[in-house]
Amino acid sequence: MCAAVVVGAAAGATPALAAKKGNKKVPLIVYSAQGYDQAVVHAFQAATGIPTELDTNSTGPLLAQIQASKNNPHWGLLWVDGQTAFAELDDEHLLVKHFEPKVKWNALGKKVIPKDQSFVPTGITLMAPVAYTSKVLKNPPTSWSTLLSSKWKSDVGMNTPSQSGPTYPFIAGMMSYLGSITKGKQFFEKLKANGLVIHTTNGPTVSALASGQIKIALVQSTAAIGAEHTDPTLRVKYLSPTTMLPSNIGIDAKATKTEIAEAKKFAAFVLSKLGQAVMKTGTPTGDSLYYPVIQGIRPRPGLPSLSSVKVQHTNPYVWGPREASINSWFVNTITK
Amino acid sequence: MTLADRDSGLLARDVPAPAGDQGAGCNPPASPPSPGRVTASRFAAAGRAVRFGLWGLVALFILVPCVCFLALSVSPRLFDQGPQWFTLAYLKTIFTGTTAVSIVDSLWVSASAALLGLVIGLPIAWLAGRTSLPGRRFVSLGMWLVLLLPSWLPGIGWERLVVKDGVLTRFGLGSAFVTHAIMGPFGVVLLLGLRAVPFAYLTITASLAGLGQEFEDAARVHGASRSAALRLVLPILAPAIWSALAIGFAESISDFGVAYTLAYNSHFSLATYQLYAAIDNFPPSFPAAAAIGLVLVASVALPLALQARALSGRSYAVLSARTRQAVRRQLSTKGAILATGCVALFFALALGAPAIGTVTGSLLADFGASNRVTFANYAGVLHIPGVSGPIYRSLVYGVVTASITVVAGFMVARLLSRRRTRSTAMLDFLLLATVALPGVVFAAGYIFAYNLPFLSRIGVDIYQTVWLLVIGYIASSLPTNARVLVGPVSQVQPSLHDAARAHGAGPVRAWLSAVLPAVSRPVVMAWLFTFCGIFLELPMSQLLYAPGSPPLSVAINLNVAGYHFGLGLAQAVIGVAIALCLVCVVLLAYRLLAPKGWRRIGSTVRG
Repeated sequence: MCAAVVVGAAAGATPALAAKKGNKKVPLIVYSAQGYDQAVVHAFQAATGIPTELDTNSTGPLLAQIQASKNNPHWGLLWVDGQTAFAELDDEHLLVKHFEPKVKWNALGKKVIPKDQSFVPTGITLMAPVAYTSKVLKNPPTSWSTLLSSKWKSDVGMNTPSQSGPTYPFIAGMMSYLGSITKGKQFFEKLKANGLVIHTTNGPTVSALASGQIKIALVQSTAAIGAEHTDPTLRVKYLSPTTMLPSNIGIDAKATKTEIAEAKKFAAFVLSKLGQAVMKTGTPTGDSLYYPVIQGIRPRPGLPSLSSVKVQHTNPYVWGPREASINSWFVNTITK
Repeated sequence: MTLADRDSGLLARDVPAPAGDQGAGCNPPASPPSPGRVTASRFAAAGRAVRFGLWGLVALFILVPCVCFLALSVSPRLFDQGPQWFTLAYLKTIFTGTTAVSIVDSLWVSASAALLGLVIGLPIAWLAGRTSLPGRRFVSLGMWLVLLLPSWLPGIGWERLVVKDGVLTRFGLGSAFVTHAIMGPFGVVLLLGLRAVPFAYLTITASLAGLGQEFEDAARVHGASRSAALRLVLPILAPAIWSALAIGFAESISDFGVAYTLAYNSHFSLATYQLYAAIDNFPPSFPAAAAIGLVLVASVALPLALQARALSGRSYAVLSARTRQAVRRQLSTKGAILATGCVALFFALALGAPAIGTVTGSLLADFGASNRVTFANYAGVLHIPGVSGPIYRSLVYGVVTASITVVAGFMVARLLSRRRTRSTAMLDFLLLATVALPGVVFAAGYIFAYNLPFLSRIGVDIYQTVWLLVIGYIASSLPTNARVLVGPVSQVQPSLHDAARAHGAGPVRAWLSAVLPAVSRPVVMAWLFTFCGIFLELPMSQLLYAPGSPPLSVAINLNVAGYHFGLGLAQAVIGVAIALCLVCVVLLAYRLLAPKGWRRIGSTVRG
């Protein structure tokens, strides 16, 4: 009994308790892997009064939870980077369609909106800029093909797609850019033959760069630019083409009508001026370093301009179904 | 036959079974029962009810989730994870390619690590418990610290030490040979072996505590040398030694922290990593993960079979009212230096490397680009909104889980320490198999088993509540906890309880006054052991935590895996420090509050 009371207190007020207190609104369960999610959830609750429970986690565990509980889902809204998972959830009819808030998309935003509006972009990050340290490297590579030269032998590091959500879109983007899966595989095999160093996620890869284990890190733009705040000698360079990695919101098609309505309000809030302002300030050295998708919203100061770089978008409905087999190939061939 | 077997006065089978131990087939009394018999009968009935309840809980919270998950390997459609009602396709994958290699690697690595853990842990337990080893009081504390560290921390620490341009290189100590050795199978076995040492140490220390001086004296009186006496005494510790090996094996084969860090970055893929990768991929392949899980479960049959074969037909009940305090052996100066050096070397390897990992990670705010030490990350931790919430939650979860688990663990250990039956053998296998399953399997199994639509319809909606998380913690801790307690519990003779009953104590009071003092120290150890395991537990926490209430491990992981590597490490260091403080408080409280007689059991006198 004592244990029950203590555990209950530790957990904080549960939805059931909230209901007993007379709160009729259904709590909106937000599954999110965004660094600024807590700040946005607080602002959303303050603005709308809708009780919101946040499950903040890495993308992998969130998607595993969704997959494991798809017979009896508990999530209301999913907010993670990358579109391939959303495309697959959409193919399984697990997402609400046509809920796009009425907003004015900018050029980047227009490129990444799915036709059936089963998810909406909330910002753009890029995969994978070249991060390097100016005290070690004066002349960074200028194209993807130069990474294969012996000059960069054992100097290039990247994440593994089996643990880093943003990495599959990068691999898919390279395959798309090179013209086929086969050519893409050959590129990564050559990169491996040139001593490619694989780490788990953005953090360890950037850490390996800073400590000198590698000279070039291919990581998510937010991680690379954010690391500049920690290590002033760190620099970021975009190679053409660089692949867009939008953050997106999708809504659970099996949620109750009330929760779906609340989730739509959440999506609208995120794309509002206030929501974007909170996103831009939530984690100033992390996920807040995104490129906005709404007209009139400017990115945080210090983000490199995209005017001189080709930015590409890979179709998630084409590349989504290939994700498992390509990741499996990467883990068994490149990571091994 | 062991010394214990020969000493008929100490044999459990020569002592009349207490009321609570009588089986269901007792003859009914011929005459009207006396009040004492009625009480005994009620006590026996209560004992049966408790055993039945225990089995029920084990089935409900351990067997069902595991079976639900593992069944997916042949029937993905069971939980809507594929179109087939029955298929062997996923099982076939474990015999081919990378998965097969990783499974074979996991088996030999885990066996080696368990052996290494025992080879290091047994002498340290002996030195700290039975000799005048300088600084022996700190050995236990050090072991708790090793246990407290999540296994990924030593992994990162060693990596940062030996990688190209790592810490050793910066200090001019870099060596390609060392790098190659650590970043490979040897390093993985070393790390897992070092992780297995505390399990061996605690299990054997707990059993040593119940091993009085009389056996060694008897051997010496009959002319045996010290080494010969040791050879006679060691077999009495067989339950603890086998338990240590079994736990070491199961813990190593289920370890994910080392598999995820050092092993993965050394391109040495272990089965747990393959299992995790199958789940973390998108779409997750739970059936493929279940197939690997099946192999892990099956693998524990090996140590269990060896254990059963080694222990069958013997009794190890050596702790009685006549047990004499052991005499602490005085080490010679040379011996003391050698022993201290060896113990110090162990702690340098087990704690020194992780410490370097945290120093370079958490005290260098620029990701280790320079050698400038700063507390910026620690200051940053204090500025995280709601930073105390996850710490508080993990403390509460740890305390509640440990308290419940230790009670259940004791009861399970009591069942396991009795005469081996088919039922106890099954329970033993089930529990150890559970240890071999990574936490992520447990967590996914809980989702499949306790998130069924019909359960929600009847009002049982516990997925993503703190209740299911704590139940999961308890269920995943129980097997190891019970294993730790089996050794000490098997040493307690029923005569202790009987003697108290004979002096007029009721069943409960008899247990509290006669049995609890004898096992109080191992129970405290088991409590701490569970607390340490849960405080920074990650895989289950990630999948089962209640939205809005993340435990500390989830908060740390978000920083380490994301943009704030140093901040996450600083959070981990602070968490470990807090947990270590709690360990110290508990140990101090036991020392100050436990009756002197309780502490005397298992203690030693100067030789």
